[in-house]
Amino acid sequence: MPRNDDLARIIAGCKEGDAESFSELIDIYAGRCYGYFYRLTGRREVSDDLLGELFVKLVEKIGTFKGGSFESWLFRMASNIFHDYLRGKQRQRKLFEAKKEQLELKLAEANESEAGAIDKLQMQLGKLDADTRELIVLRFYSQASFKEIAEMRSEPIGTTLSKVHRGLKKLKELMER
Amino acid sequence: MNEKEENMKDLFERLFGSEQAEEIEQDIRKGEQMFREYPAPQPDRELIADIKTEITASLLRRKTNAFRRTVYKMAAVAAAVIIVSAISVRLFESRPSATGRDEKGASAPERVVAGSAIPESLWESEDLSTDDTDLAILTAEIEQIEDEILASRLGENGGNGGEDLTELEIELIAINSDFWKG
Repeated sequence: MPRNDDLARIIAGCKEGDAESFSELIDIYAGRCYGYFYRLTGRREVSDDLLGELFVKLVEKIGTFKGGSFESWLFRMASNIFHDYLRGKQRQRKLFEAKKEQLELKLAEANESEAGAIDKLQMQLGKLDADTRELIVLRFYSQASFKEIAEMRSEPIGTTLSKVHRGLKKLKELMER
Repeated sequence: MNEKEENMKDLFERLFGSEQAEEIEQDIRKGEQMFREYPAPQPDRELIADIKTEITASLLRRKTNAFRRTVYKMAAVAAAVIIVSAISVRLFESRPSATGRDEKGASAPERVVAGSAIPESLWESEDLSTDDTDLAILTAEIEQIEDEILASRLGENGGNGGEDLTELEIELIAINSDFWKG
């Protein structure tokens, strides 16, 4: 984690359009953002694409960052990108509905090829409902406070806390089986 | 532990009461510990390098576009200034003054002074005797015309004022042309 002063300096450099500052920012956050995308999609190739998309968007939008928690701002953007990806995937599913059997076959093949790489946590995360999974992954990788996460999701802090608590408790149970 | 969450227990106590707070806090900490035990894969170095290259290229494009936009804006502003200046100059040149004359004409008093009554050659001449004679003749003729105009106005010479004025005008033109001929 960079010191606040360092981060402020790097962000200021990014706002000036300095490539070196962007490079530093990527070095700091690429791992966490990649983890976030990977834990939500379970696929490296998709995470690669989403990470690239996130940083390209960061270059476009850095001028709109007006202070406050940079992590919250960055992960809100990451969350939007993930939701766009989900919407695209749903559209794709509808498009290919007619060829459902073929698609299922392809998905099965893809899952088989990645099965070796998927760890136990990833498998158990897949058993949680989408909203809870996203919430606890966001909480861990963004390292944002519950208050910030509640603000990001536009819900009361109590609701956020309860969901995280229930989700993590269930995850722990699944992992211990 | 998350640095931002040092007061997590306080937060839980406020929301759930002190009895539940500790249990919830423990559950959350243990749950998050699992993520540390099973770290997600890291992005490939090649991927990071590709992203950095793409961003550098994107920044370069943005800078070039920004420069181009600035140049276009400056060119547009310069063109506007030139057009407005040109129009303003033309307007000032042709704008009539309150007396009905051009502004330019009003600023050139020598044209007004150089009236047709006394020719420039007379002013510049050093032959005083000839000039005096000419002036005397001119003055006499002007006085005569004045008398005739006055008489014409008063209707002393028969009452046909329109014809008299025409005659006077012809006379004046003749005097004027004679005078200019020297």
